[in-house]
Parts: sequence; structure tokens; C-alpha cells
Amino acid sequence: MNINPSTIQAICSSILSFLPKLREPRNFFFYILPFSIVLGRLIPPSSSSALNDIGLSMVQLIAFPAIPLVLSAVMISIANIFSSHTRNNADRIRFGTRFVVSLLSAILFATSLALLLSLYQSPGILSPSAKLSIGRFMLDVTDIHVGAVASTSQANDIWISKIIPSNIFADASNGQTLKVISGSVIAGLAISRLKPDLTSPLISLLRSVNSISVQALNIVLNLAPLVLICLISAAISTINAEIVIALLNFTICVFLTAIASLGVSRLIYRRFTSKSERVGISVNPVDSVFLLSLSTGSSMTAYPLLFETLTGMGRNESEVEASASLSLLIARLGNVSYNVIAILFALNLYDVGITPLRIVEVIGWGAITGISAAGLTGVATVPTISVALLFFQVPYPPILVLLLAIDPILTLPRAATTGVLAMAIAVVSSFQSPAKEAPPNPESAV
Amino acid sequence: MFKPFLRSLVAFAFVSLMLLSPLQVNAVNNFVESIQRRGYLKVGLPPYNTPPAYYIDPESKELTGYDVEIAKTLASKLKVDIEFDRSSTSFNNLVERVGLGDFDLGIGKLGLTYTRLFDAFPIQYLSFRHAFLANRGFISSLKVDPDDPSFGEILKNSNIRIGSIKNSTWETEARVNFPNAEFVGFDNWTAAKEALFANDSIVDAIYRDATEIKPIVYSKPDLSLEYVPILFDELIDRKSIYFSQEGRLGLEDFIDMTLQREWGGIKNDIAILDEFQSYYLAS
Repeated sequence: MNINPSTIQAICSSILSFLPKLREPRNFFFYILPFSIVLGRLIPPSSSSALNDIGLSMVQLIAFPAIPLVLSAVMISIANIFSSHTRNNADRIRFGTRFVVSLLSAILFATSLALLLSLYQSPGILSPSAKLSIGRFMLDVTDIHVGAVASTSQANDIWISKIIPSNIFADASNGQTLKVISGSVIAGLAISRLKPDLTSPLISLLRSVNSISVQALNIVLNLAPLVLICLISAAISTINAEIVIALLNFTICVFLTAIASLGVSRLIYRRFTSKSERVGISVNPVDSVFLLSLSTGSSMTAYPLLFETLTGMGRNESEVEASASLSLLIARLGNVSYNVIAILFALNLYDVGITPLRIVEVIGWGAITGISAAGLTGVATVPTISVALLFFQVPYPPILVLLLAIDPILTLPRAATTGVLAMAIAVVSSFQSPAKEAPPNPESAV
Repeated sequence: MFKPFLRSLVAFAFVSLMLLSPLQVNAVNNFVESIQRRGYLKVGLPPYNTPPAYYIDPESKELTGYDVEIAKTLASKLKVDIEFDRSSTSFNNLVERVGLGDFDLGIGKLGLTYTRLFDAFPIQYLSFRHAFLANRGFISSLKVDPDDPSFGEILKNSNIRIGSIKNSTWETEARVNFPNAEFVGFDNWTAAKEALFANDSIVDAIYRDATEIKPIVYSKPDLSLEYVPILFDELIDRKSIYFSQEGRLGLEDFIDMTLQREWGGIKNDIAILDEFQSYYLAS
């Protein structure tokens, strides 16, 4: 049978034009999610690993513009904000104060919300049948081997060692996001202290890198529907439904935190933007950020939407760049709230009494371990909790096994929480640019 | 001068051969022949039930298990009947009695210790890792990541309270391998398990080989939340069949060949857990 090349061309072009349409968040719920679930139920578990590998390869592709985007966005924004030629000291203090206050408020909000929901829902208080399901799942998996070749401990590998930059180019090529951020902040400060004629070539280069990175992200994001189909169907094919049911309270807490964060972010958006700024915006952009993060499982994918929405509203570009990139990458509020819930889950599971002092400790450790997930993505963020569990002297290996078992589902609301709260921080901390241009329709940016 | 010396040397060598060689051959034959004359193999078994190694089957009320089958195979290859003796008071007592010649051999998941080497002569047939079933709370109190390379040393030098059967190889091993631990001896394995699971437990872990520890969580998976099997990959329990000096001399080659051909060589705990999966895994 001869296949006409024009037919192949037509099929390819129709797929290429169809994929961007599938990227719209509502299509995630109406088409991608149901299709993936059905596919996951149909495929044999043996083929799920191949599907998962394909999905992870595409995730790697989607993540590739992240580092240059972070590097350029942070460097440009810090250089602009701290430059004595473009901004005065009062502006810097105003932005810095609002950013820090809003960031701390968001962390406090995320931890408190997660704490209240956990105290209400009591994740970790399990029925005998749920304990049996969990026990069956853990057989052979959590055994401790003494004398075998030990794997690298992740428990103590956090924060300080990962934040100090060594060589910004080496850090960038090694994917050390936190080091890239801290290096970019220092480099941005250095640029801000130099004369504009010395730094303008570099600034324009960084600006080009940033624009190209955003454009590249937009292109590779077309693969997001395929990524989701691969990952969700692979997860459905292998996930232990018994475990999901056993951990239902925990799952509900994480989803409720995401939804509550969406509600609060919507309120903040309404409260901290003027009517004139919202002219031409028909859909609340917080909803779009939420759905985009939820549907891709990555808060970073919401960065272009967040940036273009706020700059489109006339907000100061540097402030938006700085607040959006730093809150998306460093604060990791989805992880902060998730870790608070997970710590309370572990404490309940092992019958550790909840005292006022312990509540404060839970909030503190939830925030510290959540923030220490900066630079990590997806399932790799979960083991950060082990430090907190060691502090509370709760056995962390079985908890990690359980959390990792249901993480293919929970990584989605975690990303959505990070996305919407980062939007809230950016809205609160950024200000109207002096020379406001006519706002383009931000929805067209997605 | 040289010829008489050579003649004397050849004569001495001939007489030596005549005297020594038949003695060696007669020693082997004597032991096997004594069993065959008696008409049955006398096998000492511990006074416990340790399924699936050796136990009274609840339905048939007969002695069964893989250790029993090995002994029966040996008897059939010797073309004699078999008689099991379970009157020993402990594992160590059984090994002592084998050494004194009360039985032709002693079998029943008997581990190897210095004390037992003083009393009798072992031939290894199983290789099981030492294992704990430990309270996760105690493990967390050590404040070290179980994946950390230092975990093993910290555990071995901790003040852990270890429970197992008293006067067993595990009491000896606990004192050797865990110098700062407190050993709590129990009359039997069931009592040790009950002590671990009690509300105010007097032990932090129970100690035996992997084929005894793993089935506990297999039969009751919800225990996995509170208790964790710890497998010591470098501490190996060489389960052996014990003989008297004469028995070892007479039966060593015979046992080696039978174990290789009929049993499949020295088996480890993973092979045993796999082979007797239907027994170990909860229905």
C-alpha cells in the first residue's frame, strides 16, 4: 500500500495544530484525564514502565528551558531593582519589604491552612483494613539491610550545601537550580552597581536569552498533553488502588489545600489589582495558573502566563520577574503545605501526641523542608520530609514508601498550590510601572 | 650393606600399609555397617515445632518438614528405617548428646557456635542471614538514617534489648554480635514474639534467622507499620547437621553427596522462603 506523502504531511500538521488546543486547562479535565484513566486501565502493567519512560523523557524536554529562564529572569530583575540609575532607594525598599512580607505571609498561610485541614481531617488515623492494606504494600519494601551496599542518604542532604554557588555555568549545566538562583542574585547585584554602558550588552543578551527561553517553553509545552497521557496512564496502570483508598484523608487534605489556596489567591488578585488593570481580562488569571500547574504537574510552566499577565496589566517588569521567579522556585509553597500535612499524617500514624509546642514544630519543619525542595521537581521533592520525621523520631522509611506510592496523583495539587500562591505573592509585591502601556490580552499568552 | 637396609625399608613400608590402610577403610564401614546392622538411623530433633523445617502436622499428627525429609532421605539411601528422638531439653543439649553418641546425627535448624564445635562435628546444609524484627520506635530513637553506612555499627553497639529462645545459638550470637545489648531469653519462640508485641514490651527486637523473622510480617502484614525486619547480610547462620567424631568420619562423604544430589547443595534463606512460599505467605 502506497502512502501519499501529502497525507502524512496533513496528519502531522493536524496533530501539531491539535496539541496546542489540548493544552487548554479545561481540556485536561474533559479529554486528557478521562482518556488517560481509560488507557491506564486497558494497558498491561508490563508496558506501563515504557510509557512512564516516554513521559519522563518529555518532562525532561519541557524542563530544559527552565535553567536559562531562571538565570536570565533573576539576573535582569535583581540588576534592575537594585540599580541606582533606574530606581531610587525608596522603590527598592518598598518592593523588597512587600516581597519579603508577602512571601512570609504566604508561607504562614500555607502552613496554617495545611495544619488546620490536617487537624480536621486527621490523616494517618487509619482503620484496621487500611492498616492491613498499607502493611501488605510495605512487605519486603521497607526491610533494613545491614552490611549491604548502602544507598546515598538523602536525609541530611539539604539546604545549605545546595544553595552556595560554585560556578554559575557549571551549576547551570548540572541543573543545580538553587545554586543558579543564588548565583544569579549575586551577579544581578554586581550588575546593578556598574555603569549602564558597561552592563547594557550583557543585559540585552540576557533579555534575549529570557525571551528565547519563554518562547522555547511555549513550544515544548505543546508536548504537555502527551506527557500527561503517558504519565497518568502509566500511574493508573500500576498504582495500588488499595493504598489510595487507605490514604484517602491525606489525599483529600492535599487537594483541599490546593483549592483553598486558589480561593485565597483569587481574593488577593481582586484586592490588589485595580479595575483599570483588569480591563480586557475576562477570565480570572489565577484560575488559569491553577489549571495549568495542575494539568502539567509543574508550577514552573505557569511562569510565562504569570509574567505576561502581570506585565500586560502594566506591572513593573523587573518586579514581576523577580517576585514570580523567586516565589515559584524558592518558596515552593505547595511543598510547604504538603510537608505539614505529611508530618501530621506520620505523627497520627505513630500515635505521637499533638501538643501546642509540637504544632509550632510541625509548622517550622514543614516550612523548612518544603523550602528545601527548591530546585527539585516532582517525586524527588518528597524525601525532603525525612529530616523532619527524624526530628520527631518517627520511622520515615515506611512513610516515604507510602507517600511515593500516591505521589503521581498528589504532585498535581502540590504544583497548583505553588503556582497560585506564587501568583498571589507577585500580585502583592509588584507595582504599576510608571509608563504603562496598553495591556494585551494575557489569555493569548498561554 | 645397602641391600639389607633397602629390604628392611620395603618391609617396613609394606607392614605400615597393611596396618594403617585397612584401619581407615574399616572405620568408615564400621559406622555405616553399625547403622545397617541396627536397621534404623537414630536422628535427634529439637523438642520444638519449627515449621516448615520440623513440626507435627496438625492434621496428620505426623512429624514433617524439610529437615525431617532430609533425614528420611539419608535413611533411605542407607537402606535403613528411621527413628526420631525429641527428648533433648534444648538445642545445645541436643548437640551435646549427638557428640556423646546418643544419636547418629542431630538435625533441626541447628546453628553453628563455638560451644557446639566443642561438643560435636557439623556439616553445613543451610546458609541463613541473621535477622531482627525490631520495633520501629527503637530504630528511630537511634536518630540515624537506616540507609546511612554507619547505621549497622550504631545498631550493633546500641543498648537494644534482644529477645530470643534461651540456651539457643541466638543467645550466644546476641552476646557476641551485640556487646552492649541486653539479652532476654524465652522458653520458646512464641513467647519471644508475644513479648515483642506486648504493650509494655521488655524487648526492642527479637532475634533469629531470616526464615523465622520474615514470615511474622508475611502472616500479619499490618505489623509492618510498627515493626521492621532488619537483615544482617554479613552475619550468616550456618545451619548444620551435627555428628559425633565417628559419625562425621564415617558419613561425611555420604552426606555431602546426598545433600548435593537430593537437596541441591547449601541453600540460603531466600531460596527457602521462595521454595516454601505457600507456607510463609499469608493466604
